[in-house]
Amino acid sequence: MTEGLGLVGIVLVSHSAALAEGAAELVQQISGGATVVPAGGTDDGGLGTSTARIEAAIDDAEAGSGVLIIPDLGSAVLSTRAVLADLAGETTARLVDAPFVEGAVAAAVAAGGGADLDAVAAAAEEARDAAKF
Amino acid sequence: MPPSSDDGAAERVVVLPKPLHARPAGQLARLAGRHKETTIQLVAGAKKANARGVLAVMAMGAVTGTEVTLTVTGPDAEAVADEAAGILTAAEAVDG
Repeated sequence: MTEGLGLVGIVLVSHSAALAEGAAELVQQISGGATVVPAGGTDDGGLGTSTARIEAAIDDAEAGSGVLIIPDLGSAVLSTRAVLADLAGETTARLVDAPFVEGAVAAAVAAGGGADLDAVAAAAEEARDAAKF
Repeated sequence: MPPSSDDGAAERVVVLPKPLHARPAGQLARLAGRHKETTIQLVAGAKKANARGVLAVMAMGAVTGTEVTLTVTGPDAEAVADEAAGILTAAEAVDG
């Protein structure tokens, strides 16, 4: 995992470990140095989401500037909210409503450039309006 | 190019030796991120994008042979324009 000291971290929460890991690998390559941590699959590696994996990923991604969490679908949101509720007051991690791949790319490029959490979240949200071609 | 921190404007026209895909788009966005006061605008035919927007740059769909005009305004415009042109014209591994 490439670590950028003091940069905003990105966590990708997916129902599939392979999807989260692949997206993180791609996004890291494009952003050149952002911290992107996958949190995919259930505790036993099946399809679904895991609050334990999400919490561990937030911890890994935190470098002192906050963490942006991008979920893929439905229960990824619910599981992340459960984790954030548990960590209430102990984390600056923020869940954002953004497309999984484009949002992650935009957020990681912003984070890699040293943007703060508000700007990284805004970059991810703006990706919703970005046409693919 | 003499170093200068004066505000300025610079233009470069390059013909892409490779498609403007995710990796160079990311490099341009990082360059833009390092020069927050400087604006890097790309134009290819009817498509335009600000280099800060990595998704917008990818969405230009610029393929090999496309002529891209870079317009750079702000501090260190000349140096930033050279670096941006270098990213666009670099071969896969080394500067071309």
